[in-house]
Amino acid sequence: MSKEVVLELKNLTMQFGGVKALNNVNLQVNKGEICALIGPNGAGKTTVFNVVTGVYVPTEGEVLFQGKSLKGKNRHKITKLGIARTFQNVRLFGEMTALENVITATDVHNKSGLMGAIFTTPRSRREEKASREKAHEILKLIGIDHRSDQLAKNLPYGDQRRLEIARALGTSPQIILLDEPAAGFNPSEKEALAKLIVKIRDSGYTVLLIEHDMSLIMGISDRVAVLDFGEKIADDLPSVVQNNPKVIEAYLGVPADAS
Amino acid sequence: MNFNLRDWGASIWEKSNKWQRLAIGLSIVALLFAAPLLEKTFFNTPSTPFISVLFYPIGIYVLMALGLNVVVGKSGLLDLGYVAFYAVGAYTAGILSMHTKLNTWEILPIGIVLAMFSGLILGAAVLRLRGDYLAIVTLGFGEIIRITALNSASVGGANGISGIPNPPTTFGLKFDLENQVTYYWVILILIIITVLMIRGLSVRRPGRAWESIRQDEDVAELMGVNTYKYKLWAFAFGASVGGAAGVLFASKAMFIAPNIFNYNISILILAFVVFGGMGNIWGVVTGAVLLSYIPERIRFISDMRMLIFGLLLIIMMNLRPDGMLPRKKREKIKQVGGSNE
Repeated sequence: MSKEVVLELKNLTMQFGGVKALNNVNLQVNKGEICALIGPNGAGKTTVFNVVTGVYVPTEGEVLFQGKSLKGKNRHKITKLGIARTFQNVRLFGEMTALENVITATDVHNKSGLMGAIFTTPRSRREEKASREKAHEILKLIGIDHRSDQLAKNLPYGDQRRLEIARALGTSPQIILLDEPAAGFNPSEKEALAKLIVKIRDSGYTVLLIEHDMSLIMGISDRVAVLDFGEKIADDLPSVVQNNPKVIEAYLGVPADAS
Repeated sequence: MNFNLRDWGASIWEKSNKWQRLAIGLSIVALLFAAPLLEKTFFNTPSTPFISVLFYPIGIYVLMALGLNVVVGKSGLLDLGYVAFYAVGAYTAGILSMHTKLNTWEILPIGIVLAMFSGLILGAAVLRLRGDYLAIVTLGFGEIIRITALNSASVGGANGISGIPNPPTTFGLKFDLENQVTYYWVILILIIITVLMIRGLSVRRPGRAWESIRQDEDVAELMGVNTYKYKLWAFAFGASVGGAAGVLFASKAMFIAPNIFNYNISILILAFVVFGGMGNIWGVVTGAVLLSYIPERIRFISDMRMLIFGLLLIIMMNLRPDGMLPRKKREKIKQVGGSNE
């Protein structure tokens, strides 16, 4: 493919004591695509996210973002470079309003700091206004702008999950990592979410998506990578992955006569 | 409890326009400057001169509570050694007045900067710790400063430093035993400046960064907040406020000794912050005023007063565990419809 690679995992191994959560994983995510990362529980999907965002330091291998290694970069620096994520279990700033949650994320590109805030410098004033407007725009894109003045912890569950996505978009990322955004959703909510993810991609973001719901994955992904016990066992178009015997085995187990 | 003082105040404030707000603000400030007139009323403290009580403990403690509130209330960093910065400020005033001819107003910025530096040094070392661990290490730091002073002959050891000069006469205002109200006015000005600064910080980027750190430090970091830097700033800001209080205290008291700066002060200031309402400026101010005033008001029952003080704390924490004026909830629209779950 001649596409531009946004994120690349190179020979990534993550070891916790004797457990290899990731074993020599290679993965490329191209600009402007929805790449899904699937696999049974404990396959290492969230570990991939944690390594990419700098929560864990990989035992071996490295993560390249737009061709540059992320080795030794602080977590907030990685976010600033353009990688944002959501969390499997909602982790919003519950006692801030929805709007403030997003503004906090937009702050990553602002330059004014303590002195700017104390003396209300023109730059601080300008940045505050721009951040607020941008946060409203993102909330509108996600479709929860009517919730902007409510505390995050008081939002309905579905809106909390959407706010997580909005907050991640607030950092103006190149790529957004969504960790099971549809967890706990009913079918109609899942459908709306699928549309939203496509809308996010069409707005120019690259999406790396962890999800368990196969119909959601197969419906919207441009590519699907499958992890099993920390190893990548497939990486192809959704229709091809669906019929891959290794993938079926990982999900459904080995047929009785084969063991 | 349907009536909520915080919301009541906030609603009046929100309904006002710019000029009304300015008028409200100025009249409150004017009333505060006139507070010494309360000496003739019921509020007078029978056993101690009321006007000096306004400066110490009330003024000094309000200032320190405001500083500690940025660290504990806003950023959620439990600092049990806050007295250290107070001591740094006071000892700066003591040492500089011993060796130089600088007056209080010249020493004040030096004391603030030195306290800020000590905050940065302590912060750089300990802010990788969290929660209880941070609390224990800061508690230790507070004691280190006190014990260092106790064992340093150059700063008077256990005898401390005496003969620290009062501030010079400024704008025709005298600072001495006969004119104590001027001290109160000075600390009031410092308190107002601090409140304005904290308000400016709270509603802008640093305030959001602190708030996000308090709620979930890991997520804050992943959302691009440089948590270490902002925690350090919170520490430095709190420390410089404590340092300012220290300089003023020393120049009023004219005498300082290590045993003034024991960890009781740290705990007391923390109690003000918790009692008043962590994170809320007005709550913390009210808490500090009440809790530093009441023991003076009931000083005539001598030994019993601390018992009553403790009882008051227990009752209060049972009735309002979030403090008198809890953190503003900032929610304007009532939730409509049920949850989607």
